[in-house]
Amino acid sequence: MDNASSSSPRENYLIWGIKILAGLFILVFLGIHFVVNHLVAPGGLLTYADILAYYQNPIIPIMEICFLVFVVIHALLGLRSILLDLHPPARFAKPIDIAFVVIGVSMIVYGAWLIFEVVQLGRVG
Amino acid sequence: MRNNPSPYNFPRWFDPRRRMPGSWAFILNRITALGLTLYLFMHLVILSKLAQGPAAYDSFLVLAKSTPIKLGELLVIAAGFIHGLNGIRVGLTSFGIGVRRQKLLFASLMTIALAGTLFFAYRMFLTE
Repeated sequence: MDNASSSSPRENYLIWGIKILAGLFILVFLGIHFVVNHLVAPGGLLTYADILAYYQNPIIPIMEICFLVFVVIHALLGLRSILLDLHPPARFAKPIDIAFVVIGVSMIVYGAWLIFEVVQLGRVG
Repeated sequence: MRNNPSPYNFPRWFDPRRRMPGSWAFILNRITALGLTLYLFMHLVILSKLAQGPAAYDSFLVLAKSTPIKLGELLVIAAGFIHGLNGIRVGLTSFGIGVRRQKLLFASLMTIALAGTLFFAYRMFLTE
């Protein structure tokens, strides 16, 4: 172990636990998401009309938003741990965390907006 | 240390010599993680076509059914299987389950990943 690594930021147990837990939830939601969207759908993809109809079931938008939240958390915490494994100087720790929070919140807000937009389009159509 | 994931050891990351199965499992997990995260960004961007109406989404569907895109999707499926099953191994061994049989566990899970990928390859390229 060199001096740089002993002073560089590390992933703590809480963050590691959240990443593992989010990974477990993803396995469940991904199974449902994949079977419905790609395995059951003819040709492996739902048509536009099928998607609008599918999202009229209130369980589906809730499930997809939960899936999105867990995927974003798991992906960005994973990227963060890869970055921290490169032993960045301690002064970069906070900017890295802030950047990941901003990216994560933006992705979740954008994804949730898209899901609600699809629900609305289905109601109008 | 020689194998430390330091930027100074960067060329070493691509050197396949003298690696144990645990090292391969770690590398596979990291490479698939990066690939899947890139896919997540692309997936969210592409799905914005849904908000643009049926014409925009249908033009995407035509593209999605082309062979190069299907090959890319198969890579995503393979990465999903490898990362998900390897993640189960990491979770189990972190709680002390199967630590003594890690090599067997890794080999078994990667065999399942290969079988799953072949199943999807068959469905995507030979039945559609």
